Amino acid sequence: MREVAVIGVGLTPWGKFPERSYLDLGVEATTKALDDAGAKWSDVQVMATAIYLWGSLLGTVAGQGLANAMGETGIPITNIYNMCATATSAFRSAYQSVASGECDMALAVGLDKSPKGFYVYPGFEDKEDIDFIRWKMTGLVNPGYWALECRQRMDGYGTTERHLALAKVAVSKHGALNPMARYQKLFTEEEVLNSPMVVDPLRLYMICATSDGAAAVVLCSLEKAKQYTNKPIVVAATTIASSLYGDGTLRLPTISTPAKATAPYLSESAESSRIAYEKAGIGPEDVSVLELPDNSSWHYLSYLEILKFCRPGEADRIVETGVSKVGKTVVCPSGGCSSLGEAQSAQGLAMICELVWQLRGQAGARQVKNAKVGLAQTYGMYGNSGAVILKV
Amino acid sequence: MKNRIPIIEGLFTWPSEDPHLIAGRCKTCHTIFFPKFCQQHKPDCHPKTVEEIQLSKKGKLASFTIMHLSPPPLFKLPPSQIPYAVGVIELPEGLKVVGLLTGCKWEDLKMHMDVEIVIEKLYEDEQGNEALTWKLKPI
Repeated sequence: MREVAVIGVGLTPWGKFPERSYLDLGVEATTKALDDAGAKWSDVQVMATAIYLWGSLLGTVAGQGLANAMGETGIPITNIYNMCATATSAFRSAYQSVASGECDMALAVGLDKSPKGFYVYPGFEDKEDIDFIRWKMTGLVNPGYWALECRQRMDGYGTTERHLALAKVAVSKHGALNPMARYQKLFTEEEVLNSPMVVDPLRLYMICATSDGAAAVVLCSLEKAKQYTNKPIVVAATTIASSLYGDGTLRLPTISTPAKATAPYLSESAESSRIAYEKAGIGPEDVSVLELPDNSSWHYLSYLEILKFCRPGEADRIVETGVSKVGKTVVCPSGGCSSLGEAQSAQGLAMICELVWQLRGQAGARQVKNAKVGLAQTYGMYGNSGAVILKV
Repeated sequence: MKNRIPIIEGLFTWPSEDPHLIAGRCKTCHTIFFPKFCQQHKPDCHPKTVEEIQLSKKGKLASFTIMHLSPPPLFKLPPSQIPYAVGVIELPEGLKVVGLLTGCKWEDLKMHMDVEIVIEKLYEDEQGNEALTWKLKPI
């Protein structure tokens, strides 16, 4: 396997764009990424694309739609869906094509428009489908899972409502500086604590919104990357992990779990980051910028612990400092899901865009000084999680 | 007398004077899972070697959430019951199961309280039948 670099990134604004199609968003991100790389569409030899789950059958071959719009070149296109790890899986697939020597330049694209309200897949009625059963019989909505885990955390570690609010406040300080974020706004503790209760103990401003958005990343062999840029960003690791037997987390969308856990909490995320650290030969103490999946304040606290930035239960102390930072690591410099909203199939690539800008020193008002190493970690719905480590 | 019909068959014993949730258990590693087709095994156990068991009914409340929202249409909760609460029961078998909470004021819910699994009406269908699910009820 040879070394691979990121040479171009492109991101659309994150928000709600009812007038725009998923392909329109995808074309914008792709064009921006190619321009950023100084490459042409016809230079792309392999493409991995996130599927668009909420459209017609053609949404499942979004990559072909994108190629249609860009001009068909006959390249291999793979369309990928892997829950929260979808975009990271597309990145990993593109990486493998370059690393293995199959091609010199590959493109990973994620594009998504979120449905209104809760994620409910339309038109399925399979009585042995656990997702169908949970909706029909229990009515537990997705953020309800986070609320159940959050209350256990509060019971076990003494996490308070205030800690949950402080996580949002700290991340919003970054989001307020990100021109691509949907909520470019500084939230106060009082505002968060006075926002409507949604899934007790989580209030409205403690849960991320669902957004529309697209992101694209151009990968190239490190050797060839030097023809395009004098600051290639090296891919130190890109991993996907699934759950381990005995994981005690109440995994979305299941309705039962072992009482006594024999595997790590959120094992898919613990594993994907553990393996990424190992492959990259670095530890949390080396990370300058961390994009974690702050789908809710519970995620923010839990992921600091799962990714080993602190011990279990200690994340509460970190948010008490009022800044989204642990040691020298700046957490969610983009403003995270909390400021962008979640566009599930594109999220992992949006995180990678932020890391690249930070490592190049192009992050504008939110630039982290002297950023050398970045980690992007996704959440793990139904046991799928991805981690990416980039370095200068 | 109204007919009382499970919303989805096969998840609890019915009709029954003493209904229980139906779970599966791996004959090799003895892992218990619910529902019975949502299999959980230690790696390399044979997925076919599953026996059906009935879960016990009493346990502790391992977590709960009160949801201040209208659920998606698949969940036919009468609007008068919003906000609704969902909990997790920890059973003596070593399994936690999610269920709608019933039979108490939401402000009285406490972690680790004793709860039991009951079969109750969720809604009345167009024919006037009671559509049943399992719920968790504080004891």
